[in-house]
Amino acid sequence: MNSNRLRAIVVLAVMVLLTIGYITHLDFGTLSAVGWSTVSLICPLGALTTIVAAKLMIPRALITLVVVIILLVIFGRAFCAWVCPVPVVQKLRGLFSRKERGEIEASKPSGCTSCAKKRGAAWDSRHIILGGSVLSALIFGFPVFCLICPIGLTFASIFLIVNLFSAGDLTWTVVLAPLLLLGEVVFFRKWCAQICPLSAFMSLAAKKGRFFRPTIDDGKCLETTTNKPCGICGEVCPETIDPRHPNTSKSALNECTKCRVCVDNCPAQAIKLPIWAPKVTQSQSATPLTQEAQEAEGTEGAQGTEGARGAGSARGANKKS
Amino acid sequence: MKTSGGITRRSLVVGVGGTVALCALGTVRSVGASPLVRPPGGQDFERLIAGCIRCEKCVEVCPRHVVKPAHIEAGVIGMRTPTLNFNDDYCDWCREENDGTPLCVRVCPTEALALPPEAEVETTLLGLAELDASTCLAYRDTGCRFCYDACPYFAIELDEHNRPFVINNKCNGCGACEAVCVSLENGSISTGATERAIVVRALDENGNAVDGLSEGGATS
Repeated sequence: MNSNRLRAIVVLAVMVLLTIGYITHLDFGTLSAVGWSTVSLICPLGALTTIVAAKLMIPRALITLVVVIILLVIFGRAFCAWVCPVPVVQKLRGLFSRKERGEIEASKPSGCTSCAKKRGAAWDSRHIILGGSVLSALIFGFPVFCLICPIGLTFASIFLIVNLFSAGDLTWTVVLAPLLLLGEVVFFRKWCAQICPLSAFMSLAAKKGRFFRPTIDDGKCLETTTNKPCGICGEVCPETIDPRHPNTSKSALNECTKCRVCVDNCPAQAIKLPIWAPKVTQSQSATPLTQEAQEAEGTEGAQGTEGARGAGSARGANKKS
Repeated sequence: MKTSGGITRRSLVVGVGGTVALCALGTVRSVGASPLVRPPGGQDFERLIAGCIRCEKCVEVCPRHVVKPAHIEAGVIGMRTPTLNFNDDYCDWCREENDGTPLCVRVCPTEALALPPEAEVETTLLGLAELDASTCLAYRDTGCRFCYDACPYFAIELDEHNRPFVINNKCNGCGACEAVCVSLENGSISTGATERAIVVRALDENGNAVDGLSEGGATS
């Protein structure tokens, strides 16, 4: 099955399961604290900011932080592609866009990618906002980011509507929570890549792990077998990683969300996400391309990645159909 | 894209902008919030607000369906934090369901709801019941005494005309009286009433019951 479709099904299944759990009081919690009964995996950002805000060593929050960091080392940012509801909510953006739905937005040339440090390897805006979340919790004594967290607001919106119809619970929150959520994803198109402090936390922890990273079989890859530029894997990656040329890639490999779009789109089926991905091989870092080919590939890649990031899944779907 | 210290200038602007926005949002704390009737263990507002990540596990687990997310009308800072709504049932700390340990306290992952070890159901004040004689059916000589029969703590007594009144220092705000009050259902005789004749009021920091008009919680 196409990974885009599979991912959408998994994300929706999680939302439906948690909503059914809420309605029938099965006590699964939400993604803010998912689990069963007293055993739950708290959002690492929520756990961190409540410890800071309450200035207390909250045992379950501490245990959660340790467990989550271990999970992140193993699975990296897989949460972002396979569980987080925000990319699904972002699809609603099409309703507010003047462009035809499914059309790929025109890309701007995105400057030099190799001289600036890679996203994920260096600090970026997400990390500052992660620091800001902790700082604001410390100053004001409550987890401020939780008020506007789009993941929390997604479930809040669902539950508010459930409560409105099942219990007649009438409040302005039922209007304001979905509006705030939509505002966040409509006006901040690059929320996940530039703002989300949770994604910053995950990419930091993922630096330590080398599991499930895209690995190319040089025996199949068109660039190594025919010595001509291909670059499709780098173009389609929604996270602007170029698995073939990690040295010139805009993002480092710890940003990989294991979405499998590169695996799906590789014309030679050369990419795999093995459980243990050893260090980047010599052939992968030392590209066999000529200077001209690299330049051509560079501009093409920049255009492709800009579009792919904005409408990554749409693009993937287009290619399939 | 120009860089300064390994970070692009644009990233710096977005990041600092986001941090400033979060700090600006944090000032809703000083705007304040009206006191609400909170679940057991939520009486310390500082603790509740510091720990609550608005995961709504307490809402989900409550077997009596009385824990509800607070409305934005009661203050932005308290939005979606747990509050009690006694429309259908009341809170007895899950005596039957969990041997007297409230399930909401048990499941709260961040201990935003936390009871001191010596806390007892009788002495932990969730709120205070307030009876409005102008809408109470018993004060119209109907002989209604549902609240008197429902109160588990004998905090409601009947006067010489069989009209109920609340003994304030026995009431812990469990909501049993409010849950059974039929004044609104039979409210044709008390037009203009927007709430039941007996309602559990939230307590302010001094332990005084807060007037119903200033309360924007989930009581309706």
